[in-house]
Amino acid sequence: MTRQLLVLTACFAVCVSLNAFGDTKLEYNRDIRPILSENCLPCHGFDEKARQAELRLDLMDSAYADRNGTIAIVPGSLEKSDAWTRIISQDPEQVMPPSKSHFRLTDVQKKKLKTWIEQGALYAGHWAFIAPNKALLPAGAIDNPIDVFVRSRLADNGLKLSPEADRSMLIRRVALDLTGLPPSAEEVEAFVNAESIDAYPQLVDRLLQSPHFGERLAIDWLDSARYADTNGFSIDGGRHLWLWRDWVIQSFNDNLPYDRFLVEQLAGDLLTNRTDSQLIATGFQRNNMVTHEGGTIPEENLTNYNADRVKTLGESILGLTLGCAQCHDHKYDPITQREYYQMFAFYNSLSDKGLDGNAGVNPGPSIQARTVLRTNEESALQQQIAQQQSTLANVDKEVLSAWEAREKVTLAHGGKDFALHPIKVVKVSTPNRGAGFEVEGESRIRLKEPGGMGAFDISTELPKIDRPITGLRVIMRPVAELPGGGWGKGIAGGGKPKGKKKAASPEPIAESAPEKSTKGTFMLTALAATADKIPGDQVNLFKMLPIARVTANSWERGREPAGCLNPLNDSGWSPDLATDGPVHLTATFSEPLTASETPFLTVQLNFGNGNNLVPELIELQAVTGTDDGTDLPNEIERSLRIPAANRTPEQALLLWKYCAEHAVELESMRTELSNLQDRLDVLTKPFTTMVMDVAAKPRETFILNRGDYSQPTDRVQPGTLAVLPAFPADATPDRLGLAGWLTAKDHPLTSRVAVNRFWKMLFGSGLVNSLADFGSQGEWPSHPDLLDWLAVDFVDSGWDTKALIRKIVLSKTYRQNSATTPELLERDPQNRLLARGPRFRLPAELIRDSALKISGLLVPRIGGPSVNPYTPGDLWREVSHYGSSPATAQTFVQDHGEKLYRRSLYTYWKRTAPPPNMMAFDAPNREVCTVARGNTTTPLQALVTLNDTQFVEASRAFAQRVLSRSDKTDGERLNWAFLETTSRKPNDQESHVLLKALARERSRYAMHVDQAKASIRVGESPIHPKFDTVELAAWSQVAAILLNLSETVTRN
Amino acid sequence: MNPFEHSQQHLLRRTFLGDATRGLGSIALGSLLFPEFSNASELARSGGGISGLPHFAPKAKRVVCLFQSGGLSHVDLFDDKPMLHEHAGKEIPPSIKGTQRLTGMTSGQSAYPVVPPLKPGKRCGQNGTWISDLLPNIQGIADDICLIKSLHTEAINHDPAITFMNTGNQQPGYASMGAWVSYGLGTENENLPAFIAMVSQGTGKNPGQPIFSRLWGSGFLPSSHQGVGLRPGANPVLYLSNPPGVESSQRREMLNDLSELNSLRAAELGDPETLARINAYEMAYRMQTSVPDLTDISQESEATLGAYGPEVLKPGSYAANCLLARRLLQRDVRFVQLFHRGWDQHIALGRQLPNQCRDIDQPTAALIKDLKQSGLLDDTLVVFATEFGRTVFSQGKIGDPGMGRDHHGRSFTVWLAGGGIRGGMEYGATDDFCYNIVEKPVHLRDLHATILHCMGIDHSRFAYKFRGLNTRLTGVEEAHVVNEILV
Repeated sequence: MTRQLLVLTACFAVCVSLNAFGDTKLEYNRDIRPILSENCLPCHGFDEKARQAELRLDLMDSAYADRNGTIAIVPGSLEKSDAWTRIISQDPEQVMPPSKSHFRLTDVQKKKLKTWIEQGALYAGHWAFIAPNKALLPAGAIDNPIDVFVRSRLADNGLKLSPEADRSMLIRRVALDLTGLPPSAEEVEAFVNAESIDAYPQLVDRLLQSPHFGERLAIDWLDSARYADTNGFSIDGGRHLWLWRDWVIQSFNDNLPYDRFLVEQLAGDLLTNRTDSQLIATGFQRNNMVTHEGGTIPEENLTNYNADRVKTLGESILGLTLGCAQCHDHKYDPITQREYYQMFAFYNSLSDKGLDGNAGVNPGPSIQARTVLRTNEESALQQQIAQQQSTLANVDKEVLSAWEAREKVTLAHGGKDFALHPIKVVKVSTPNRGAGFEVEGESRIRLKEPGGMGAFDISTELPKIDRPITGLRVIMRPVAELPGGGWGKGIAGGGKPKGKKKAASPEPIAESAPEKSTKGTFMLTALAATADKIPGDQVNLFKMLPIARVTANSWERGREPAGCLNPLNDSGWSPDLATDGPVHLTATFSEPLTASETPFLTVQLNFGNGNNLVPELIELQAVTGTDDGTDLPNEIERSLRIPAANRTPEQALLLWKYCAEHAVELESMRTELSNLQDRLDVLTKPFTTMVMDVAAKPRETFILNRGDYSQPTDRVQPGTLAVLPAFPADATPDRLGLAGWLTAKDHPLTSRVAVNRFWKMLFGSGLVNSLADFGSQGEWPSHPDLLDWLAVDFVDSGWDTKALIRKIVLSKTYRQNSATTPELLERDPQNRLLARGPRFRLPAELIRDSALKISGLLVPRIGGPSVNPYTPGDLWREVSHYGSSPATAQTFVQDHGEKLYRRSLYTYWKRTAPPPNMMAFDAPNREVCTVARGNTTTPLQALVTLNDTQFVEASRAFAQRVLSRSDKTDGERLNWAFLETTSRKPNDQESHVLLKALARERSRYAMHVDQAKASIRVGESPIHPKFDTVELAAWSQVAAILLNLSETVTRN
Repeated sequence: MNPFEHSQQHLLRRTFLGDATRGLGSIALGSLLFPEFSNASELARSGGGISGLPHFAPKAKRVVCLFQSGGLSHVDLFDDKPMLHEHAGKEIPPSIKGTQRLTGMTSGQSAYPVVPPLKPGKRCGQNGTWISDLLPNIQGIADDICLIKSLHTEAINHDPAITFMNTGNQQPGYASMGAWVSYGLGTENENLPAFIAMVSQGTGKNPGQPIFSRLWGSGFLPSSHQGVGLRPGANPVLYLSNPPGVESSQRREMLNDLSELNSLRAAELGDPETLARINAYEMAYRMQTSVPDLTDISQESEATLGAYGPEVLKPGSYAANCLLARRLLQRDVRFVQLFHRGWDQHIALGRQLPNQCRDIDQPTAALIKDLKQSGLLDDTLVVFATEFGRTVFSQGKIGDPGMGRDHHGRSFTVWLAGGGIRGGMEYGATDDFCYNIVEKPVHLRDLHATILHCMGIDHSRFAYKFRGLNTRLTGVEEAHVVNEILV
């Protein structure tokens, strides 16, 4: 059968090719230019240096010219056309393209060229460089103009539009397209049952007003702008540009005219009376990657940064591969290298540096600004915060007594069978030093020049004892020579660790500096240990020993022992300066070690790179028995030892306050409170963001020979491309002038490129399917008149994005059923003629967002700093410079509470280790401008939606929603769940399969309740005790099937 | 029944049956049915490669790239010269140093004294190849390897250099070597990805220079060709394990339900992409069993384990990854790449380099011997590479324990072995100070062209159209296969 099909397919291809141009007039731009461009223009095109025989085949005059008796192309005469005789020549010396060039003309291409010459070899200017015109619509046309054009092309091919999709398909499609979220079951039913003939336009208008509209539209623009949360190159420290991202969302929601959208992003800083919002907008061209790799030559990188900006401008706004002209004239399009550097010059005036951002904070220039988001949440947030605070302030007797009981047990057991044993230190290493630290004696380490040394990996041998080793003690001894005879070189309050707290932290309001002491101290920012059968020079990231508890004999307020369990640099343990003598910290392992099984222990002590708070003399000991220390402040310990009835009100209050801050029962409440506070800060406080500016002394721009920063040749001034409309004489030769030129009414590219990108979002492919390349090598538009009509209409409407999108989604073309037939699949496999509704897999973000929405977990807040939802393991640290660099974003710390359930465009995007559940679904790593992502189908995608904690939890949460309904039967529940997931009701066969699955899982989990328990305990969202474990587990499996349906991840 | 439904049912039936004899047939069938469907055809490509490849009979079917990340010191390990000892401690002659650019880390130094190799070495094998005593086991395989001592790159910093070496371009956005090979040739094992990457942390410098997923990324190629990370621990491939409370048999039943539901809908809408998705779920399921089988080394003999050295028992180590590489190659995984971090010896060369060498010496040699013993070396190309070499002059003061060497892209050494390569030879030469190339320079592009050549691919004809350009691993400039090192 396979063979037959092959033959059929081959035959079909030939038939098509013959029919394609047998009698019809060939069109130069559509039919011939691509062939010449691909095969001939590299040597006979625009690039002067590469040009052979002084022949240009892209210009009619040159092609027709007589050169010593030979003429490349003679209209109407194959025999006289030298190009043709060379094309069909059998002589390897004569044939064109040359035999060694690897360019080969196919038979179809040859036939086209032949026909073209026969038909008169007519040339035409490249369509995309000529301003679009609105084609006249047939008189009295009542159709949406889009349908007029699409129908006409379909009619030419003997096809017609498919019937309109049913309402459930339609609402799902348009809701996903305009908000990125599937409609709820109730919304579907309301729409399906709506009687108004305006139900669909009303739905569209409602969706266009949704705050999620801006989020959906932002995703594609973030790809184009290569938006991410880290600097990208090498160490890849964190940055803050989310204010820009939120500007994009708000701009789409406000329907900022597209020309303003561009002007503010390109040149907001140059506008008169510019606002903070306009400055934030200029972050667009600060999204490029930057480096803070030591040894970098700044000039080289500045060149790369500007080259990236020109490339991005070209691909995202102009639809031209400007980047091709960095080293030489463009091979295909009329873009000279000089023009390239004229465009480059617009950006070369920025005051950015070639080596910046080392601490993992924003490379300059940057400003402090408040968000442009208007979400109207403040008062609600303030109320919620006050409420949470008062809840936490009120004594919860149950929690208090449980906490008290636990603490008393711990106190009572403290020191039971406690003993310390020396650990043999074998070796110490630290990334950035080879000297200045030594092992002294058996178990001591001396850091002789401790300033700024970062993390130390200490390879040790455990003492050969039979008793289980329950923990590790780290002792810092005072050294007479250190300041004040203290433990370290650093002075408290004088050596704040570098690196910012977290992305969400607003710029700190200057606090009064803490009083400086003269006693040398340290801060242990992180502690980790691993045990193994063989010695390890470094802690094994994959086998970190879980630590149950840390205590110390002394600590400074705000630098409690537990601070060292957070691997980030901003928290840590420091002793109280009032303490005399050695200080120590004791970590109790969750599982004791047996020296005979894992004789080698590796310990990592991190003091925060670049931080002077480093001790000098360290000693390690193994602990057996129960730790004799405590993590309780003295006054708390004292109060705990007093019977409750005898405590003073102050003591009781103190105890509750401490309990409220530490009791595990209240952890989710504390998380919620802190998330709410973060959110309020986001909406009300200033944060740093990267912007454009003009340097006090702007750099000069030169043409760079071969694009090499070290080979400047002619100096150039800012300027645009000769092939496009002239740069207005009265415009300033700066980015503002550039923006004005781009958004001029008659610019042939800007509007077409924009319209085409929105079309792609709605149809899965563009009218021009090479979205970033409208040049000679780009694709001929499937509907040129439609593209031009839309482009002109877009400009005429005042660049009204919402109106454009509304027009498209109201068309019959958009509203077609997406079901297809074998005939249609054969005729038009890629649906370029649009004889059926578009269907394609959802973008990565929308797959996760759908699962969150369906499960009810979604926290639909707009904007704010990026968040770190579930990720399997610390993928950042596996590739990063952790312990060696003060840069942020070197170790992954998962967020909790509502930050786990934000939409995926808010997931923290670390460029060198992007979120894997997004990458599996073709999300770009945002290193460079991406216009139009790929769309693959791979097994890794299946693994994500089947096994990722986020999706497993979503299944369970969805099951909870299902079980919370008042439906009486499984069938009713299933109908709702199916509708909620796919926007339609299941048919009988589908119900049968799912109900059978439900029954099977029910009986399975009834027999294996432990399994049921385990299966529902995935994820951090709470499970209401009212749910029966087996029932919840069984429904969770059904929910997982629903979330994994091809239909669920597809927009149809 | 119309042909579409017929073929669809055929495809589904085969998928359901889990037909053991079904090689790539069903996937290829999908691509025949739906040649223009990007999604279906991407799936086909991930299995089958592109038509017309290989261009000629390949010498190697698979590649293992042992990437020494951070810049391995060719001066210390492979390229000793008598002059270095004569000139020890003296300023490098200006005629040698020339005017080439240095990194910002040494460009301000007041002196550039020559530092001879840290440890002596010896002439090894029949060819008498000099290899440092820091690599005693690699000394032992000298007859199997071909050293290219005249490799050069333009980049002088890690990010551009390592990106160049792995993707053919200094700037991000390009496809990695493994992705190219996966795209071109596909896989012969449909239960495992065609391209697998593993990362280990060296003991020389902890942590080493950062590395980036773009080094095994797909760039502009379809993302199905990106290298899949294989990591130590319970989840060797991300998201591989079923969630708690879900057994494999249970998952099988669930996937059957899912397939049934998906195929019902596919038939209704005539949607070929759904068929591709059904296949993807089946392959995911097969990966769930094939990966644990791959990573379970309990059946390896004591002798084998011993050969790779003690660290082989430490998941995630270079040694453990070398053994896994052999197991992957055995299973016909097309491109396996190890990244071993920690070679960036700017400081404390004397302290860091011996550690780093100890990490890789025994396992690397063991892998070659193991491949040789099993016959796999005949059609496996081994590439031992790094992003650049290190300066012959010191970074910092001679005698200071903190002394090291800076980056040096002007000349450095990599070696190849196995399918298509002449073992026991050296190619190209540097000057007396192992600073400039004096004989047979090999650019990174040439190395890439040679790697592709061994796989039966003509680099100049192996292109992917992106942004209007036929983009190649070897870039736009001319590249040459290094024919003299080929069998």
